[in-house]
Amino acid sequence: MSARGDVASKKNVRLAARLSLLLLMSALLSGCWDRTEIEDRAIVLGVSIDKAPPEAEKEEDPITHYEAKLGPPTSDLIRVGVQIALPGRIPLGPGESGGSGGNDPQKTVWVIDVVGHSVNDALMNLQQELSARLFFGHLRVIVVSEEMARFGLDNVDDYFHRNPEVRRMAWMMVAKGEALALMKAAPKLERVPSLYLMTTLDQGIRMGKFPQDYIGLFWSRKAKLGQEGFLPYVELKKSQNVETKGLALFRDSRMVGSTSPLDIAVYMALKGNNPGGYSAFVEVKGTEVMTHVTHREEKTTFKIRDGKPFFTFKASFELNLEEKMNDVLSAQDPSMIREIEEAQSKGAKKLIEAFLEKTQELDSDVLGLGEYVRAKSPGYWNKNVRTKERWQRMYKEIDYEVEVNMNIRRVGMKAQ
Amino acid sequence: MPLFGQRTRHLKGKPRRGNRKPDTGISDPPSGRKPIDGRLDALIAEATRVFGTDTTLTIRRFRIFGSFPAAMLYFPNMLDQTALNESILKPAMTVPPGQSLSEWTSQGLLGKLASEALWHSECREIEDCDSMIQALLQGDTVLAAEGSPAALVVGTRKIDKRGIDQPGTEQVIRGPREGFVEPIGPNIALIRYRLQSAELRTRQMTIGRRTLSKVVICYMDGLTDPELLAEVDRRLSAIDIDAVLDSGYLEQFIEDNQWSPFPQVQYTERPDKVVANLLEGRIAILVDGSPLALIVPTVFNQFYQAVEDYTERFMQMSAIRMARLVALVFSLVFPSIYVSIISFNPELIPTEFAVAVAGGRAGVPWPAVVEVLIIEISMEVLREATIRLPQQVGGALSIVGVLVIGQAAVAAGFASPITVVIIALTTIGSFATPAYNAALALRLLRFPLIIIAGIFGLYGVMIGLILIANHLLSLKSFGVPYLSPLVPVSFEGMKDLLIRGPLWWMKRRPEFLKPRDADRVGPNMTEPPETNEDAGRGSSTPSNSKE
Amino acid sequence: MKATRDITATQAAAVVVSTIIGVGVLPLPLFTVQAADTGAPLVTLLASVLALVGLLFVTLLGMRFPDHSIIQYSEQIIGKWPARTINACVIVFFALLTSLTAREFGEVVVTSVLKQTPVEVTVIVMLMLAAISARNNITTFSYIHLFYVPLLLVPVLMIITLSLKNAEPLNLQPIWGNQPSGMLQGILTVAALFQGSFVMTIMIPAMRRPAKALAVSFYSILIAGGLYVVIVIAVVGVFGAQETKKLLWPTLELAKATSLPANVLERLDGAFLAVWVTAVFTTLLTSYFLTSVSLKQMLRLEEPRIFTFFLLPFVFVLAMMPANIAKMYEAVARAGQIGLGLTMVYPGLLLLISLLRRKRGKPIER
Repeated sequence: MSARGDVASKKNVRLAARLSLLLLMSALLSGCWDRTEIEDRAIVLGVSIDKAPPEAEKEEDPITHYEAKLGPPTSDLIRVGVQIALPGRIPLGPGESGGSGGNDPQKTVWVIDVVGHSVNDALMNLQQELSARLFFGHLRVIVVSEEMARFGLDNVDDYFHRNPEVRRMAWMMVAKGEALALMKAAPKLERVPSLYLMTTLDQGIRMGKFPQDYIGLFWSRKAKLGQEGFLPYVELKKSQNVETKGLALFRDSRMVGSTSPLDIAVYMALKGNNPGGYSAFVEVKGTEVMTHVTHREEKTTFKIRDGKPFFTFKASFELNLEEKMNDVLSAQDPSMIREIEEAQSKGAKKLIEAFLEKTQELDSDVLGLGEYVRAKSPGYWNKNVRTKERWQRMYKEIDYEVEVNMNIRRVGMKAQ
Repeated sequence: MPLFGQRTRHLKGKPRRGNRKPDTGISDPPSGRKPIDGRLDALIAEATRVFGTDTTLTIRRFRIFGSFPAAMLYFPNMLDQTALNESILKPAMTVPPGQSLSEWTSQGLLGKLASEALWHSECREIEDCDSMIQALLQGDTVLAAEGSPAALVVGTRKIDKRGIDQPGTEQVIRGPREGFVEPIGPNIALIRYRLQSAELRTRQMTIGRRTLSKVVICYMDGLTDPELLAEVDRRLSAIDIDAVLDSGYLEQFIEDNQWSPFPQVQYTERPDKVVANLLEGRIAILVDGSPLALIVPTVFNQFYQAVEDYTERFMQMSAIRMARLVALVFSLVFPSIYVSIISFNPELIPTEFAVAVAGGRAGVPWPAVVEVLIIEISMEVLREATIRLPQQVGGALSIVGVLVIGQAAVAAGFASPITVVIIALTTIGSFATPAYNAALALRLLRFPLIIIAGIFGLYGVMIGLILIANHLLSLKSFGVPYLSPLVPVSFEGMKDLLIRGPLWWMKRRPEFLKPRDADRVGPNMTEPPETNEDAGRGSSTPSNSKE
Repeated sequence: MKATRDITATQAAAVVVSTIIGVGVLPLPLFTVQAADTGAPLVTLLASVLALVGLLFVTLLGMRFPDHSIIQYSEQIIGKWPARTINACVIVFFALLTSLTAREFGEVVVTSVLKQTPVEVTVIVMLMLAAISARNNITTFSYIHLFYVPLLLVPVLMIITLSLKNAEPLNLQPIWGNQPSGMLQGILTVAALFQGSFVMTIMIPAMRRPAKALAVSFYSILIAGGLYVVIVIAVVGVFGAQETKKLLWPTLELAKATSLPANVLERLDGAFLAVWVTAVFTTLLTSYFLTSVSLKQMLRLEEPRIFTFFLLPFVFVLAMMPANIAKMYEAVARAGQIGLGLTMVYPGLLLLISLLRRKRGKPIER
């Protein structure tokens, strides 16, 4: 066996290996399958979902199903609207002033709507009409009409949960009335309407007006055995701005009721969310003052009493005195302060109890009290509850006790 | 990467002729080992025969002390004409004072002349013709006398060289401004006066069949690893080529992996850098005729270190060094990340920005990856052009090229504004790398990364980076892993990796160089000497930190 | 391959850690909550302990024969032919593991990032990358792992730390879960994720000081297992056990739901995937390397490099065999069970037999 021949054949083998490797690799260059240029994508910023009347079926073409033979699906019709960003119309910098009216939302986004039997069906119908591929990576707001929410959001949730492009930090909200109107709204403060919706809620979190309730959190809460989800409940006002009307309470995937805006404060109080952001009127000695909550603390404890869960809520607040209606009361007087605090405590206690009653009436445990039971008394849970439906029924029967503690810390710049 | 050949040099067969031992003669002497037999005319005829019609060879016949026929052969303009006249010809014409002509015979004439009459410091005797030819080629003068079997070679070589000036490619703000010149003598002197240690050794070799270039290996005896020295010697000795015109030729023969884009040998024009590396345990190679000295072995982190890192204070220079590192990384991955985000994952950028970018790209007819490649290639062409242009035009073109052409390209719909910004930042980032050869490597690696980003997106960029990292991890420079001291981990080495630790903290030499003597800071040297509150009473003297 | 004993203890630990942290990081929380609800962290912890026990068998066995790998000394312990058959099974198993890892990787990429790319392409690219890198010797192999380990640990820990601010303690209680009946199964499933630690068998003959192998095993399981536990705690704490059951790759969703402070970067899942590609690469590299080196040792050949490309088509075909993602996970579960037997029971038995028969290799010089 000559070393020379061995070396030569080894060299040949190596050469052959390298060549075949190169050939193989060049084959990969033949396809850039996933490359979609950014200007070829239709960036969807917001989606609205309404229920559509059965007559709207005429609008739909057989895109995902056949009309006669296989029959259309039996699910009800929904109307899905999307808000697509127009490339380049949302300028980053100061933007063109006047002239083309660059800030006119009619020009920065494009709203179109279609009808379908399910969310995916509607979106497929939509894609049939669009030149660019729909892209949900920047989806920020999903608006659902109240009618739709009460009907049930199972399908909506499933679609968005399964789609890998959708981020869990998007907002879903329930609109009083038609959801599509919110897509078309053109508030003057923001360039892009969906961003306005999103900013309202994001800023709400920062201002203490709303708890964190991204769609991911909604799904988490909904899935838990001892808790229900909730969503922001909004309404379009006359000057095209959007008001947060309260919480939309859910049981499973159906909306069962809504609350008033002040109840959001109650919810946040019971959860100890900060910063505080709500103000309230307090009646003292025949006159009224307004205080503003700056800080909330809360402690929930529970024990099993008489075979039923018993909860104790201890909430304590820090307040600023913001406004007096007249000079009857003096802001410097400690006893006056004390009276204001007591009056507010009583009022708050009533509000909290009212809120809890309402949720009990609707069988909607948005506070997640069932989770306390499940986590801290697993034995009790395993024996008596075990499933979500049973907790939903048991929720009516729990007892609770509320203690409120108010402390006015500051009175502003005025000395009286 | 072993697939594409990491060959440590295999010596096959016998060692090549021509460069075995230091200072060998010509391998195939045209005149043979003919001895000088004392016949002057024969000698001159031989010289004339070898050099053919080369009319620059000057032959000056004269009579030593007026009585002994002799001749002087030399190539003018290669030597010091004044020395020739004053120190050789003049004393050879006059009997030295205090001696009489009778003491001089033609036997041993030249030897006696060298030791008693000539005033030149370099004289030696030769006895055969090819030594004479070689001496003439080097610029020395050959003195031959009738009847003398030996000839005298006087070292009169003096080549015009440029003045010692700041090296063009390695400018510093703080530090010596001396740079190497082409002849090897002054270069060695520059090193020696900085490193006045008896352990500094210069070992000489001749490489290149026709250029017979002098190659000098510098190292510190007692400090450098002897195995490293042996390896360098072995690799240099195996070189058998016609010409060694620059140290770069040597580099291409002694490096471990010629297919790797990353350089495994460092080069520099600065003597202080050479000295610093010698003191760490490295070996320097100088070539006559080239102002660039090679330094081996090399590791990756040397490519973003600059001289000011050590001459300035450590905190500031640590921050600057990290900025340099960021620039280096930028110059590699920025365009490919841009391509992958735009074409594959636009959800990673904020929404408003994504829409604006979409607007910027709306008018461009081709995909982002093609656009980036076009601009990148144009940028490379522009860079090459600016190097070749004379100074006056070159400066203007670079500014014009970047600003105006870029702007025009955007206006013409060729490219989107963001692309131009990205490419400009990338190019500027590559200028921040002090070592040109490493910057070159990263510049070139950008292109495959862009292409693979255009196929697979961010995932492709990761694959590309993993491939590059694996290649770096398997690369060795003279037996030292390329990514030392990061991998394998050496804590001492880490002190100079991302940051520049204070001088008193870096107590030991890098262990991957396997130095014989590892300490370089005195054992008692900790912080800078404490300032005593009672100034004037004299602070406590720290121990001597010089080794 | 002559054993140049060059690998330090840190490098060996890095190899084991980066091998264990691989493609299983993504579905791990799903397995654990399916087994035990909110008892998921506990399941992970117990599984790490079990994995440690298995690795200790391997290490102690290897320390008795510090100059050989398991392929070689198993023949000394139980005889040539029994050892050869079982070793062949081990080799086939690791080839299978390589293919399933590559396939799982390809599925994740194709589902969440590159939706139009055929899964064959992602798989073959990853396999080729591993095959090319497996052609090095064991010293470079350990350098590669040492280099990548900080790149894995730091971003993962960062994402987890950032996500913890969204975690709710109630989601993690009760600690042993409301329905602990599936715990044993869960422990076994998670312990199967640690199978890569079998690479210790070829590391010990190349270690500078084999006496440190015990410390190496302990610390590497501590780090890898600790990371797994922390990931599970973060995921279950943020999402809750029920929601986690609905997520196929919960860790990825965790990265999606995390954002840097001040919302500088949202959707960190793109960056997370980049890090995870590295993690999968190190795992694949090890199993590929292990397969080819073991094959070479069994067939008593000198040149290990041939095998790397020779194996590639087999592994690729194996990877493409499951028809859909559900079948693939079924195969993974089945392979996990076999693997537990091969990587824990087999060395344990060998250890026992070697103790009984008083067989050992050259003792380690202290």
